[in-house]
Amino acid sequence: MRYYETLYIVNPNLENEVLATTMGEIGTELEKTKSKLINHRIWGKKRLAYPIDNQKYGSFILLQFEGGEQDQMNEFHTWMKLNNAVLRHMTVSLDEQPEVYVEEVKEAPVEEAVKEGTSEEDNEVETEEKAVVESVPEETSPETVEEESTDEPKATEQVASEESENNEEPTDESSEEETEEKEAE
Amino acid sequence: MAFQSRKKFCYFKENGITDIDYKDVKLLRRFVNDQGKIMPRRITGSSAKMHRKLVRAIKRSRSIALMPYVERSSD
Repeated sequence: MRYYETLYIVNPNLENEVLATTMGEIGTELEKTKSKLINHRIWGKKRLAYPIDNQKYGSFILLQFEGGEQDQMNEFHTWMKLNNAVLRHMTVSLDEQPEVYVEEVKEAPVEEAVKEGTSEEDNEVETEEKAVVESVPEETSPETVEEESTDEPKATEQVASEESENNEEPTDESSEEETEEKEAE
Repeated sequence: MAFQSRKKFCYFKENGITDIDYKDVKLLRRFVNDQGKIMPRRITGSSAKMHRKLVRAIKRSRSIALMPYVERSSD
């Protein structure tokens, strides 16, 4: 089956309880189409790029699911259009099966994964776990932290020196190229 | 020559990006000018394949109000 993703904007002034009930309604309406819910979560309250129904802000809600029957999906979309709480919605087909969202990870790693492409998500998660493991012993042993802090300025100096070298190189190349061009002329 | 033009490169190929997500507004903002217009391939240097994906992503994020259709400069 195909996988789909619906992003919809809800009126930001709704209280949390009302928002939860509307999300529940939308979830049950979607399940009527025999599609399976994978993720249904609040993406965040954001400023809209242009006002919709005189609203400048909107709470974005992300809904990922496995596709159901096509006719009933059309009914679902008309139902969403008629729903007054939903300012706008858009459904997009996904290439791959979406991963189940875990709340403990929070948004930061997810955003990084989106930036660097979906194919590298697994590698990033591993590296992040390693980073966490490394950071834990540092907190327990302050001596190592001090040593690292002494090392850091050196590293930055090296980087700075490399940068200065890099800055010099292009000028040399450009001057060489200019001389070559003059010779050609 | 008075000045040398920098070599253009495809941002997505350099960074190993194969799919562009319409929700990643921070990335898409790079390929749009102050007015909110999609910049041409001849300026951004992105490959034809990735430019098609980019255009689709920008248009999607416009329709869900993550990016503006028109952005007026504050004069």
